[in-house]
Amino acid sequence: MTGLAAAISAGTIGLLFVSLVVESVPVFKTEGVAFLWGTDWFAGEVYGALPMIYGSLIVTGLAVVMVLPFALGSAILTSEFLSGRVRLVVKAAMELLAGVPGILYGLMGIALLAVWVRDLFGLIDGNTLFTAGLLLAVMILPTVMTLAEDALRAVPGETRDTALSLGLTRMETVMQVVVPQALPGLAGAVFLGLGRAMGETIAVMLVIGGIDRIPQPWFDLFASGQNIPSKIGREAAEALGFDLQWSALIALGLVLFMMVMTLTTAGHFLLRKAR
Amino acid sequence: MNPRLWKERATILILYGLTGCGCLVLAVILTTVIMKGAPALSGEFLFEESRNFGSEGGIFYQMIGTLILMAGAAIVCLPVALGSVLFQTEFLHSPPLKKMFRFLIYSLNAVPTIIFGLIGYLFFGVLLDAGVSWVTGVLILAVMILPTLHVSIHEAVESIPDHYREAGLALGLSPGQQMRAVILPQSMYGMVTGTLLGLARAAGETAAIMFTATAFSGVQLPQSWTEPVTTLQTHILVLAQEATNPKALTHAWGAGLVLLTLVFILIAATLWMRSGMEMEAER
Repeated sequence: MTGLAAAISAGTIGLLFVSLVVESVPVFKTEGVAFLWGTDWFAGEVYGALPMIYGSLIVTGLAVVMVLPFALGSAILTSEFLSGRVRLVVKAAMELLAGVPGILYGLMGIALLAVWVRDLFGLIDGNTLFTAGLLLAVMILPTVMTLAEDALRAVPGETRDTALSLGLTRMETVMQVVVPQALPGLAGAVFLGLGRAMGETIAVMLVIGGIDRIPQPWFDLFASGQNIPSKIGREAAEALGFDLQWSALIALGLVLFMMVMTLTTAGHFLLRKAR
Repeated sequence: MNPRLWKERATILILYGLTGCGCLVLAVILTTVIMKGAPALSGEFLFEESRNFGSEGGIFYQMIGTLILMAGAAIVCLPVALGSVLFQTEFLHSPPLKKMFRFLIYSLNAVPTIIFGLIGYLFFGVLLDAGVSWVTGVLILAVMILPTLHVSIHEAVESIPDHYREAGLALGLSPGQQMRAVILPQSMYGMVTGTLLGLARAAGETAAIMFTATAFSGVQLPQSWTEPVTTLQTHILVLAQEATNPKALTHAWGAGLVLLTLVFILIAATLWMRSGMEMEAER
C-alpha cells in the first residue's frame, strides 16, 4: 500500500516529463528544431517559440533585478537587527503574503498597475513586459525574502561574535562576514524565486499584452510581449485536443519545464551547500 | 565623529528604507483588495447565483465550486501523501534512495502549475475520459498539492523522538502496528498543517484549472462526474478581463476579497498550530 503511494508521488514527475516529450514530438517533426528559434507563431500554419522564450527570460530577469535590493535588504534587517519577537511576526506576515493567490495579483495588475504604468510613462497600452516584470517582482518578494532570511540565520552565531570581538561594527560584521558566508544560500533563495517567477501564469497573462513578437529594438521593455505560461494559458482552451497546435503548446511546456527545473535544481543545490 | 559610525548608521537607515518600501507595497496590496472588495459584499452577493455574466447577482456557486475542488483535492491527496511518507521513512533505508526521493518531491513542487493543467488534462480528461469537469480539476489539484502535504507530514514523522519507536519495537510491534499505534498519532499535527496548506494552495490556484475544470456561466452544482464547475478564481479571471465594465470589476474585487479571506484563514490556522507546537516543544 505505502509502496503504491510512494510510486505515485515519485513517479509523477517522471511521467510528467515523459508525456511532455512524447506529446511534443509531432511539432518537432513538422517544424524541426527551428521550433525553438522560429519567430512566427500562427496557429495552423507555423509555430516558432522564440518570442515566448525571450518573453519568459526578460520578464523573469526584470523581476529579479527589481526584487533583489528589497528582498535582501529586508532579509538582512530582519535576521540581524530585529528582536526575536518582531522577527517571528515578520516571518508570519511573509508566509501569509506568499499565499496570496496569483489571480489577485493579476486583478491588481490589470485594474491598477497597468493603468499606472501607462500614465506614468505616457504609453498607449499599459500591458507591457515591464508591467509583467514589476508585478512578478512584487509576487516573489515574500518568497525570496523568507528564504534569504533563513540562509542568513544559518550562519552560526559564533562567527558574528568573533567578528564583533575583533572590533568590527555590527554592519561591518554583517557585510564582511555574515553575507559572504551565506552567499550560496542567498543565491539559492534567488534561484528558487526565479523558478517561481518563470512558471507563474495567471498574473502575467493578464498584464503582458499577449502579442507574440520580440519588441523592436529587442530591449524595448515598454512593448507588449508574451511569455511561455501566458501563451499556453491563452491558447490551451481552444487547442484542447490532439492537433499540431496542442503539440506545439506542450513543446512550449517542455521548454518551460526544462528552464524552471534548471533554476530550482541549482537553487536547491546551493541551499544544501549552504547548510 | 567617527566615520565608521556614520557609515554604520547610513547603511542601517538604507536597510530600513528598503524594508519599509517592501512592506509598504505589500500593505498597499492588502488594503486595495479590502477597500475595493468590501463595497461589493452583501448577503445577496454571498448567497445568490451570478446573473448577466457576473455583473449582477452574487458568487454563491463560485464559492461552492472552489470548495468542492479544494476539498476534493485534499481528500484524494492525503492518503497518497501519507502512504508515500511512511514508505520513505519506514521502508526506505538507503540514504541515496532517500535523497533521490526527496529530490523528486522537491522537483514536483517546482513544476509550473500550468504544466499540471496541460498534462493533467491529457491523463484525467482524455485517458480517464472525464473531459473538462470537476473530477479532472480535483485530480489535477491533488497532484499539485502532493509535495506540500508530503513535506509537512515528512517533517512531523522525522521529528518523532527515536525512543518512541524503540519503545514500540521493544513491545514487539510489527511495522503495521508501529505505524498505527505510534507514528500516525504522533504525526497528526503534520497531517493537519500540511492539509491546511494544501487547501490554501488549491484554493489559490487558477492556471491549472482554468481550461480543465471550469466553465464561466450557467453552471450550478455538478450533477454528474463529467460536468464542469465554476470557481472564484476563474470568475475573477473572466471579470478582470472586462476591466472597462465597472460593475463587473466591483464583483471581481468582491470575489477576490472572499478568496483572500479563505486563503488567509487557512494559512493563519497553519501558522497558529505550528507556533503552538513549537512552544510545546520548548517546554
